Amino acid sequence: MAATTHNWADDVDADETGIEELPPPQRIQNKDGSVTMIEYHYNDKNQKVKTTRRIRFITHREVVNPRVAERKAWAKFGSSAKDVVGPAPDTTSVGENIIFKPSTNWRKDAKDEGKDANSQAMKDKLKDKKVKCRICNGEHFTARCPYKDTMAPVGENAGGSQADADEREAGPAGPGAAGAGKKGSYVPPALRGGPGGGAGERMGGSKYGERDDLATLRVTNVSEMAEENELRDMFERFGRVTRVFLAKDRDTGLAKGFAFISFADRTDAVKACAKMDGYGFKHLILRVEFAKKAQ
Amino acid sequence: MRPILLSGHERALTQVKYNRDGDLIFSTAKDQQICVWYAHNGERLGTYHGHVGAIWTVDVDPTSTIIASGSADNTIRLWDIKTGKNLKTWEFPTAVKRVEFNDDGTKLLGVTEKRMGHLGTIVVIDIEVDVDAEQTDEKSLTIVCDESKATVAGWSYLSKYIIAGHEDGSISQYDAKTGDLLYNVPVHELNQPVVDLQWSPDRTYFITASKDKTAKLISAKDLEVLKTYVADTPLNSAALTTKKDFVILGGGQAAMDVTTTSARQGKFEARFYHKIFEDEIGRVRGHFGPLNTVACDPTGKGYASGGEDGYVRVHQFDKGYFDFMYEVERERQNRLAAAATAGGQ
Repeated sequence: MAATTHNWADDVDADETGIEELPPPQRIQNKDGSVTMIEYHYNDKNQKVKTTRRIRFITHREVVNPRVAERKAWAKFGSSAKDVVGPAPDTTSVGENIIFKPSTNWRKDAKDEGKDANSQAMKDKLKDKKVKCRICNGEHFTARCPYKDTMAPVGENAGGSQADADEREAGPAGPGAAGAGKKGSYVPPALRGGPGGGAGERMGGSKYGERDDLATLRVTNVSEMAEENELRDMFERFGRVTRVFLAKDRDTGLAKGFAFISFADRTDAVKACAKMDGYGFKHLILRVEFAKKAQ
Repeated sequence: MRPILLSGHERALTQVKYNRDGDLIFSTAKDQQICVWYAHNGERLGTYHGHVGAIWTVDVDPTSTIIASGSADNTIRLWDIKTGKNLKTWEFPTAVKRVEFNDDGTKLLGVTEKRMGHLGTIVVIDIEVDVDAEQTDEKSLTIVCDESKATVAGWSYLSKYIIAGHEDGSISQYDAKTGDLLYNVPVHELNQPVVDLQWSPDRTYFITASKDKTAKLISAKDLEVLKTYVADTPLNSAALTTKKDFVILGGGQAAMDVTTTSARQGKFEARFYHKIFEDEIGRVRGHFGPLNTVACDPTGKGYASGGEDGYVRVHQFDKGYFDFMYEVERERQNRLAAAATAGGQ
């Protein structure tokens, strides 16, 4: 009688503790021969946990000596009496992989392996390079130059242009090489020579990476109230606009007063620049000029 | 090849031994317990407690029922492998440096140390390979080594001879029934002790390792030196592999010099030699102390080494090991295969 009577208080209790009946474990036979097993259980925090395991059963037949098989089932004893089945982590561990290949000339092989691969690679790279002083062009490091205190570097002597050229030449190769050569040392994102290629990879990714600075206009003295689509409407009259960027304040959402407009065609940009410079927009007079290349 | 590291001992290993089926590994060290491990996964099956001194040696009977151990507490003890129970203890006046069962497990020899006015001896005890049997107290034979003490000893084929290695670098052959000295041959350099002696599977020849940096393959019948393996470091152990004709040597700088040498200079590597051609064919590093003992799996699948560093490293060979062959060996195999197919037709 008491068992059949349903107590409403029990219901509430069950809801409050969150204990409800778990779904039964599932076993699904997959097409590729593996089996997916789904089980549910509660963890320490009374949260329901679903465990999905995908298992492939492979039958591996091996003939085992019956004596050996019997010994595998022996109970542990002595200091290991309390250990569970399987290797105990405090007594058994797996070492690093050792490559052992018997060979008659193992001594030579071992020597090749022994050499530090890294230092060898670096040596190869620097084989044809010569140390050159920036002050006197001598074959020593600049810091060791005897004229260090008395002479300025060669480039400055020659009026800067040559030094600049050198710098530019070295520029793209330098960071790329640094990124690849010194593995593990930090290379700032701007200098990473990824697949996109050194300088192209800036913040914003590849979307702006290929943009053509030659057809981009810088618009200043833009009203705070301006919107990107308004600017787009205005400039689209001169040709296809590929990008409109209006700088906005992060907190207020108001325009900061300048924008960049990119055209697909440079001739359109020239036209737009000529027409829109001095154009009145929302009580302000726009100033339009070609954007300078990013530094 | 990924070695399994067994760290069941707190002090330097003294001996590791496989049972005949190659599924169990027994290890002894200078701490006071014997460990038994499963060879396939490195799981520890148990430990044997009772010795109160450094344990120098252990041996398994051929049926893997009992083990015998010799210790610096001047005892040889017999243990039940399965339960770890101490079945029998024999007391001696000095430490026991080596024990070995004969081929059928009916006799056990023990090598005792020369110390405190006692001469080094080799004793033989009859054994019943049965856990419940009452073991005898009596020694069936005692051989006294009055010239130079024996450091290692073993039973030859059919338990016909007892072969002993001595501290002065010589090898003796004794008649196993009467205990008479038949031969004594100085095979290693004078006063460079023989530190290990391990048998081929049929016990017709054995390999010795010595502090004179060589290991020698010697015939049991006439003590003829068949092969010599030259190493560049004092040796502590030498083992013969089955399935492949290789020899594994273990050694390294003496334990007391270890702190003054780097791991690379210390030569703490297992060296592999070709048994027939006597060439060194490779090394396996890993220990950071000298190798005190090496043992080969009787099934030929792997080997275990115990070091002064307290670790046992169990290695399972991979394919490259089994494929390795000298050019002449390969040619011979091809010729035999060709002859077999020709004969078949």
